[in-house]
Amino acid sequence: MRRELSPEKRRAADRMAVFLARQIRDGELVFHGVASALPMTAVGIARRLHAPNLIYLNIPGGVDARPARLPGSTVGVQLLEGARAHFNLIEIFDLSARGALDLAFLGGAQIDGRGDINLSYIGDPKRPKVRLPGGAGSACILPTAKRTVLWRTAHDPRSFPERCAWVTASGKVDRVITPLCIFRKEAGRLRIESRHAGVAPETVREATGFDPGPCEEVFETPEPTPEEAAALQAADPEGVRFLEFA
Amino acid sequence: MAGILVSLPEAARLAGDGQMIALGGNSLTRIPSAFARELARQGRRGLRLVKTAGAYDIDLLCAAGAAEEVHSGYVGFENLFGLAPAYRRGVETGAVRAVEHACYTVIAGLRASAYGIPSQPVAGLQGSDVPGLTGFREARDPYTGEKVFMIPRIRPRWAVLHVPWADAEGNARIEGGTFEDVLMSRAAEGVILTAERIVETSFFEERPERTQIPAFLVHAVAHVPGGARPGACPPFYDLDEGAVARYLEEAASPGGLAAHLAAWEEADRGAGAARPAGRIS
Repeated sequence: MRRELSPEKRRAADRMAVFLARQIRDGELVFHGVASALPMTAVGIARRLHAPNLIYLNIPGGVDARPARLPGSTVGVQLLEGARAHFNLIEIFDLSARGALDLAFLGGAQIDGRGDINLSYIGDPKRPKVRLPGGAGSACILPTAKRTVLWRTAHDPRSFPERCAWVTASGKVDRVITPLCIFRKEAGRLRIESRHAGVAPETVREATGFDPGPCEEVFETPEPTPEEAAALQAADPEGVRFLEFA
Repeated sequence: MAGILVSLPEAARLAGDGQMIALGGNSLTRIPSAFARELARQGRRGLRLVKTAGAYDIDLLCAAGAAEEVHSGYVGFENLFGLAPAYRRGVETGAVRAVEHACYTVIAGLRASAYGIPSQPVAGLQGSDVPGLTGFREARDPYTGEKVFMIPRIRPRWAVLHVPWADAEGNARIEGGTFEDVLMSRAAEGVILTAERIVETSFFEERPERTQIPAFLVHAVAHVPGGARPGACPPFYDLDEGAVARYLEEAASPGGLAAHLAAWEEADRGAGAARPAGRIS
């Protein structure tokens, strides 16, 4: 649970929270689910900066909650604090089903070159080597939300294979945020859009099991600005975002 | 107080070996933890559990050997503690059958039951291996010809829900997230409640629109303060991360689960055991 983290991991968590926040557009209906400390933090950053009119939906059903402290479980009752209405989880899935959810954040244990995700099994599902937690809402949300942004806190060939042996969910992936880079889905493939500062092109290539496209020419992901760093601290003063790296 | 008040052990005895049971709450919030522990103490076997996103309750019943199937979209301890160890071990060894769902397909199956129909169409699932593995079939809408996945009815024998307030008749009010509890109460053949507080019926008469579970759906109520622990139960207590960590340590060691169940026994059975047993019809 709450262990001390290396400065590198703390930096990766801060960057990813800010980079996820940048994916949120002002006025969007935004949802994250279970086990989503980074997107929960990102919502708090975005609404303090470029997206003050975003509408935040979560599993407890809070509409536009403004929690003073973020819970370690992203199902925590704190995610109802300051809410103006309750909109039940079932209704959120219905919202996505009818094409009215603007943006969903979804995780993946594995994310492949097509942007398909595996959150279910390593090995044969009948007798798996590893039983992963399952995809939660992703198999229904990924095809139906207007846009989804994926994230993964480890970037290595196992986490980013050419093809997932088992696909939990597939659909409308827009961007994928990792500790090394940002991928964008274009013509059915994930391609690198930017490398984070200090990450060499070959580092991305070696860490990625699929062809990420030309890593040299892409721009550097702008580092968090002082304003973003301040918003991050205000959104998550207790460092719940670091849980994803423990 | 007349009504359907029972002790926790009596309530748990209603849920027999091999039955399908929907567990209320979500992740580590308002979960029927004490009920799950009591099922484990009573040595229940072959349970078929239904949940959208589960953690402690599902994992504990897997650790105890009480669960045979888990129908769910997610089982894990989120970013706090990661994978659910007993669930994982159970599925990997073949002792537990994971019936792979998306949370929304669990909801669709429960809706089919609540609506009185054999299956329920659901949006999404395109490109996913979940339908192939679980056996969800596509059908054509008779009006538009559009293809849609049909989720078969999920009809639990019991919905087991932990609530902040109930009366002796079975009326109940939830505070905070209701998750799938209300749907489960309509989809199951019967409802068993565990409650933090047993209140007078006038509590519900003052604000009937806030009674999410009406008594006529409910079969038994047990007074179990702390019944969601180590999970949270708004508005009374928050998640106890340290106690979850202790469970994970205990469940991993030989004899540890028995010690875990014993350590909670007095707290689980305390309040309800002091009450005279009521009618169970």
